[in-house]
Amino acid sequence: MSKSQSFNVLGRDTQRQDGVAKVTGREKYASDLALPHMLHARILKSPYPHARVKNIDSSKITDPTVFTLTPDEVPDVTFCPRLVSVPSSTYKDWKVLTDKPRYVGEPVVAVAAESEEEAQAAIEAISVEYEQLSAVYDVFDSMKPETEPIHSDIMLADDWIKIENNIACSLDITEGDPEEGFKEADYIVEDTYRTNRRYHTQMETKSVLARPEPDGGVTIWSTTQTLHNTRILLHEIFGIPMGKIRIIKVPLGGSFGSSIQVNPPIPIAVALALKSQRPVRLSYTREEDLHDHCSYQMVFKLKLGAKKDGTLVAGHLDAYLDIGGHQIQAYPLLGCVVGWWVSLYKLPHKSYMGKAVYTNKVPACAFRGYGNPQITWVVETMMDALANKIGIDPVDFRLMNYIGEGDLFWGQGPSVQSIIESCGVEEILKTGAEMSGWYERPRAEDQTGRYRRGIGMGRGYHTSSAGAPVPGSVVDFGGAMLKLNEDGTFDYISALMDHGGGTMDAHTKIIAEELSVPEYMVNIVRADTGTTVYDVCTHASRGIYSGGGAALKVAGQVKEKIRAAAARSLDAYAHALRFKWDPERKQAVVYAQGVAGREITLKELAYEMRHKNLGTIAAVDSYRQPACPPHFTGYFVEVEVDTWTGKVRLVRVIAGADVGTVINPKLAMGQVHGGFSQGWSMTVNEDMTFDPRSGDLWNHGFMSDYKIPTPLDMPNLDDFYVFFADTYEPTGPFGAKGLGEGALNPVAGAIANAIQNALGVRFFDLPITKDRVLEALREKEA
Amino acid sequence: MTSINKFNTHIIGKPFEYHQPTTVEEATKLLADLTDVKVLAGGTDLIPKMKQRLLEPKNIVNLKKIKALEGIKETDKGIWIGAATKLRAIERSELIKEKIPLQYLATKTIGSVQIRNMGTLAGNVCNASPAADGALGLVAQDSIIHIAGSKGTRDVPITEFFTGPGAIVLEKDEIVTGFTVPIMDKDTGYHFISIGRMALDISTISIAVTVTKKDGKVAKATVALGSVAPTPLRLPEVEAFLKGKSLSDDVIWEAAEMVSNGIKPITDVRASAEYRKEAAKGMAMEAIKLAWTKEAQQ
Repeated sequence: MSKSQSFNVLGRDTQRQDGVAKVTGREKYASDLALPHMLHARILKSPYPHARVKNIDSSKITDPTVFTLTPDEVPDVTFCPRLVSVPSSTYKDWKVLTDKPRYVGEPVVAVAAESEEEAQAAIEAISVEYEQLSAVYDVFDSMKPETEPIHSDIMLADDWIKIENNIACSLDITEGDPEEGFKEADYIVEDTYRTNRRYHTQMETKSVLARPEPDGGVTIWSTTQTLHNTRILLHEIFGIPMGKIRIIKVPLGGSFGSSIQVNPPIPIAVALALKSQRPVRLSYTREEDLHDHCSYQMVFKLKLGAKKDGTLVAGHLDAYLDIGGHQIQAYPLLGCVVGWWVSLYKLPHKSYMGKAVYTNKVPACAFRGYGNPQITWVVETMMDALANKIGIDPVDFRLMNYIGEGDLFWGQGPSVQSIIESCGVEEILKTGAEMSGWYERPRAEDQTGRYRRGIGMGRGYHTSSAGAPVPGSVVDFGGAMLKLNEDGTFDYISALMDHGGGTMDAHTKIIAEELSVPEYMVNIVRADTGTTVYDVCTHASRGIYSGGGAALKVAGQVKEKIRAAAARSLDAYAHALRFKWDPERKQAVVYAQGVAGREITLKELAYEMRHKNLGTIAAVDSYRQPACPPHFTGYFVEVEVDTWTGKVRLVRVIAGADVGTVINPKLAMGQVHGGFSQGWSMTVNEDMTFDPRSGDLWNHGFMSDYKIPTPLDMPNLDDFYVFFADTYEPTGPFGAKGLGEGALNPVAGAIANAIQNALGVRFFDLPITKDRVLEALREKEA
Repeated sequence: MTSINKFNTHIIGKPFEYHQPTTVEEATKLLADLTDVKVLAGGTDLIPKMKQRLLEPKNIVNLKKIKALEGIKETDKGIWIGAATKLRAIERSELIKEKIPLQYLATKTIGSVQIRNMGTLAGNVCNASPAADGALGLVAQDSIIHIAGSKGTRDVPITEFFTGPGAIVLEKDEIVTGFTVPIMDKDTGYHFISIGRMALDISTISIAVTVTKKDGKVAKATVALGSVAPTPLRLPEVEAFLKGKSLSDDVIWEAAEMVSNGIKPITDVRASAEYRKEAAKGMAMEAIKLAWTKEAQQ
């Protein structure tokens, strides 16, 4: 019997409220906005990877209307731009502008002028004298005692702490007795893996428009995943009372995690706006954006042990995180990496040693999956290798050991855990295996000739939110407001940011389902910090599960209020009233079943309440979700490797996802397509490499030398099959879970295993470029 | 490479004078008279370089308003392509597909549709990048470049046009007015392969081959490679090796090894030198074989 329920609105493809604006180019993003008397800001960036600013000379700026901002002029506040963790897990090492740049591109001075051209000219007129310091680009070099310290003193919560050997923070965890565990193992595999650094390539670069207000406050339009955390941070830096800081929601042109932290241009623009008392816009160029953020590069040493019968018994993981020049969320990530690892497969005995290390590179931040794509690539590669060693089919091996329903899941490190209540792993793996012809797949040793085919699989998951039954080190709650309008429609108001994936539309569908109206009856209001209750941040694939949970909660409250008001109006018992949609009147109707005349439309009810001065039916509330249910995904990928050119071509993709109730099938499939595309690029293409001579990116920030896939690089949609497991998450809104990050996490493992299946070669470094494929084939033949 | 604080791709940082001639004579006179001048055609190479401040010309001469520089037509010498003809127009031309199909293949891999809508063939050639696919097609087909200057016109074989990385034979007052590509006869097979990091990319390495067959043997072969030398490269020794032979797989493999050994590529952000040498072998094998058998021809 199907676990899914029958819904009116959910599960159907519906049109997005911002669809017309987006496809016609009428949507306005932060970088599009302008105000009268606005100044244009530019940043002077460090050309050196590690230096001390000795002197700043602005005397050659001839334009008297230019405003400059130096490190001496910004508040002497050391902060962390990401406010998702509790203070005791928040390491702070940032300033608004730095006098000790730690990567090429770090903002040192800012200017604001009447035009972008004049601002640029002012930047070029400023001369900065630097004392260059030796720089380091590799985590292991960085930890050597003789290496120049990148930071000496930073803050943890409100206390100063010393940094030694450039280790930003570390986390060690042991459960069970790994030493004994490995003794029980008949087979042990151990390898070292190195991931790439990837740029998010979100469509919109980091941008902000800041307007100073006459009362000393400031109004902000910016790229962000969190309105309220932006306000809190600006309050902490500038001391402006929170009520006078207004962060207005503007559509976000993609993010993929790069705006979980408050973007560096935001406090810079605020400081310039306060100094000039003029509105200031600062919009990064694409080249500046590439110097602003990237994914965490990680080096893993993983050891797994299993018994002859295929039972995993023990594991050990060493993880080194290259965080670049500053901490954004290194410590929470150390917890998440171990959490993602131990939540894939049951390991009775396990130990973990994680270190986050400073280097003189662009600061790394969360990127879709938050370490999960990296560790899942490693685990899924090793599970494949271990299965082959034991002589068990890799799919069967995973089915024997996976963590599923009834098991404990680490949703966001060791302090955010809950029990899994819905799980589609078995369905995903069995269906995928059947559809892909898994058990008849080619063997590398049988293949000769130029083109070699391979099928690989990888599975994974991501958390849906950082919810749990008890508080942990991660803040995770949201809130919403819903009101009934006088025409029977609803206004939905939430601080939650939509990255562009249609999250807010999903909320309208959840509300619509609860209130028996079509989704277009629920209007999305573009709100701000002053008119919304707190929402932490759109991250951790929590938009549907957490944000949708808040929407459902207030919809339920509104429904009860409607019921009570209608009961009074209809002289009926509130609890006996029912709701239905009347397509002829285009109204939701509240009625007493079987009693003629005892019915009222929402429009009539709202009008009646207005005329009798009974008030507006509305509800506002906060919501903390009780769990962090994983959404599971699995990919079966067929590739063809050209042994002459090293080119890997995608032949076929079969993707299964367990997202609980599917809210919008096309958008959900789009998440899978997009996740796969990013994973494909992670596996065979992307890397933000640095030139050790200059410390700058090899491509100097130019996208012409930072390629990402286009639809031309993807298989035809006929060869990309997506299916959804039949599951229902009891703690989610109408059974729904997240999807965004799980769509990416297992991709690299699946593709790498497919390449292994084609060539008989395993790769331990990402990306598996054409270069590396040919090199590996040369070595194999030699 | 310019300083990190100088490039601002929102704007063109240095002001310039903009000139818009409508005839070739006007254009060449402007070029002769002005100092510190660059010509603008599609702008897909020039504008990024100006935004990066690698070029800061005081004067820009836009050639797009000169009608005489646009068009594709058949002449008694071959197919004439106007210098300012958009790459997309070349790609979509039935005449090109029918008469010089190799040029169609070498054009459709350049950049993206958006780039080809803007970019011109003369721009692709005069930018003198070793990765220019359009130029490579012309090089493999012994094309002629038509040049006009303030003192007259001249024709230069494309193989003599490039003098070094980014360097060409044009004098200060000269512009390219068009190209003549010999019509490919029915005995000639051809192939073009370009490999990039992703589908939309400049070539990491590319190859263009023609093979003219007479009496079961190679009467003439041209082999040209991109991104393996400072300029688009012809390999005369490989062409001479192929001439007069019937091409068995073994012979083609030998030629492919000569290609690989005959190039001296560099390591750059797109690929290593070793990769290019290795990939060149397989690409040459495929391109020569398909040009010989005409299997992939439309």
